[in-house]
Amino acid sequence: MNVLIVEDEKALTNELEIFLSNSNYICDVCFDGTSASEKIATNLYDFILIDLGLPDYDGLDLLKEAKKYNPEAACIILTARAEVNDRIKGLDLGADDYLPKPFSLLELQSRMQAIMRRKFGLKQSVVMLGDFIIDLTNRTIAHNNTPIGTITKKEFDLIAYMLLHKNRTLTRSQLSEHIWGSIVNDDYDSNYIDAHIKNIRKKLNTYSAPDWLETVRGLGYRININS
Amino acid sequence: MLFVLLLPTLIKDINRSYTDNWLKRQQEKVLKIVSGPGINNYIQNGEGYGSYNALLKEEYVSLDVDSLNENIDTIVNENRLVEGDTIQYRILSHNFKVGKQNYILEIGKSVDTINETATPLQNIALEILLGMILLTILADQVYSTYVLRPLGLIIKTKLIGHKFPHHTPYKKVKTSTTDFEYLDISIHKMIQTIENTFQKEREFISNASHELMTPISILQSKIENMFEEEDIPDETKVRLLEMQKILNRLKSITKTLLLISQIENEQFLKEDSISLSELIHEVYEEISIRLQEKEISCVIDVPAEWQLNHVNKFLLFNLFFNLINNAIKYNKEHGEIKITGHTDNKFFLIAVADTGIGISAERIPHIFNRFKKFTQSLQQDSFGLGLPIVKSIADFHQIRIEVASEPEVGTTFKLIFPVDLITTQS
Repeated sequence: MNVLIVEDEKALTNELEIFLSNSNYICDVCFDGTSASEKIATNLYDFILIDLGLPDYDGLDLLKEAKKYNPEAACIILTARAEVNDRIKGLDLGADDYLPKPFSLLELQSRMQAIMRRKFGLKQSVVMLGDFIIDLTNRTIAHNNTPIGTITKKEFDLIAYMLLHKNRTLTRSQLSEHIWGSIVNDDYDSNYIDAHIKNIRKKLNTYSAPDWLETVRGLGYRININS
Repeated sequence: MLFVLLLPTLIKDINRSYTDNWLKRQQEKVLKIVSGPGINNYIQNGEGYGSYNALLKEEYVSLDVDSLNENIDTIVNENRLVEGDTIQYRILSHNFKVGKQNYILEIGKSVDTINETATPLQNIALEILLGMILLTILADQVYSTYVLRPLGLIIKTKLIGHKFPHHTPYKKVKTSTTDFEYLDISIHKMIQTIENTFQKEREFISNASHELMTPISILQSKIENMFEEEDIPDETKVRLLEMQKILNRLKSITKTLLLISQIENEQFLKEDSISLSELIHEVYEEISIRLQEKEISCVIDVPAEWQLNHVNKFLLFNLFFNLINNAIKYNKEHGEIKITGHTDNKFFLIAVADTGIGISAERIPHIFNRFKKFTQSLQQDSFGLGLPIVKSIADFHQIRIEVASEPEVGTTFKLIFPVDLITTQS
């Protein structure tokens, strides 16, 4: 997968590149709109990440160009200017997603994967975890063909997110950002993730022990899949 | 008022001096008469002369030989016995000499007659006075309604009616008086200065929050990437985790300030229509995990038919989330939260009541101030922006908030919705 990162903040671009390269993406980087415009016109990408606040270029113009020369590419807008109008304009111009800064790299990756699933209809969405079958499309979880109805929406969200980032330790901050990220509230340190995990374990344990859900001491949680 | 009280005395005074003058004039007349024909015409054989109005005994004149050899020239009130009636007279006594003989002249006027004239006089004075007061009030009214109307308008529209920090275009107050025009312009200029300052503050918060987003983003990415590196020992990872937590705190504060400034700059649309009961249940679903820890029970009793119109759902969700979150955070173990909806005189009210630690009366006025934190023990997981968010969102929707609280008993936040915000679907 080819990714073009257009971001004038070099330190951030660098981190994005490291992260995406580790996740087996091939990265191309531009720090300004003019060179990005050239690259968009000459190369073909699967993903284009555009920062709207470029010093020399209107990010929305770049988005238009991308839609013209790289119609297959999925465009994700990254911006610190979380203004409602920008968001609406960006999505109107054909951006596939919109990620306000500051965002988690994991969140970026899960958005990119979601776009891929939408685009290519990759519905390898049924995952076996021990004795459990998790259907990401229909959002159900079953144990040996017995559907488990007690799992709540939030709990399923957590399982799905950990599954998406399988074999990777996710911190409580990362998990709570994912499930409560859009809510602006007074708490910055929620340990409510622990309560959720406890509930998930309790509910699944009545069927069989979810060994695949690991607590990484002092750090967070992880779903292990050996494949 | 003083004048009205003094009126009887005043009238009496005037009356008395008038009477005294009259008595003196009478005395002069009598002396003239006496000096003409001679005193002996009136006093014969040592018998005094006396004349009085026979029937009514209102006044009398007496002339007599004075046996005492002293000078008398007084005007006093005294009783006289006239034909068996004791009547109080105002009496002028004057003695004079004719030849070697001393004579005394007395001229009296009955006090009753004097008072008789005083009463109508007093009434007339009172009537004139009342008339004048009435006239003054009337003139005052005319003055304040017509002449001073621009002043009232300036106070009403420019000072009392002005809502900060919302910018309103200048509207001239109709007046032909240059002084009022000057006042109007001056007040407008003052308000403009205040508004500009407000605007600058809001811009600053907005810009500062925006500018902080990118560095926070960089830091967050760096920490996340370091987590992935295999050669980092676990103890370093724990420290990275602490850094992540602190960064999250910074992120929350920045996001919250940005949200508040965006609300104050009216960057949100109010185009959603939602069921209030559904909204509160959605919030409950998000937040229910937080009830578990302290085993708090939560009752929601909001009429299902209440429909919110022209609102911003995202913002109202955040409003209720923060209110209920506070109700949980400051609650006691096995406490209770009640969310009830009722109508009061056309207004729709939502009350969020907890059985928590409460807020003391002197702190209530400050709870909506940014970064104000009171409860030391709970510092660890909040930074005092929950209620300012609630307040900004409520203001944005013209929802009034009332707080009632009793320490150690609980707090109730009452949201009073404007009439046009809620409709009932039946």
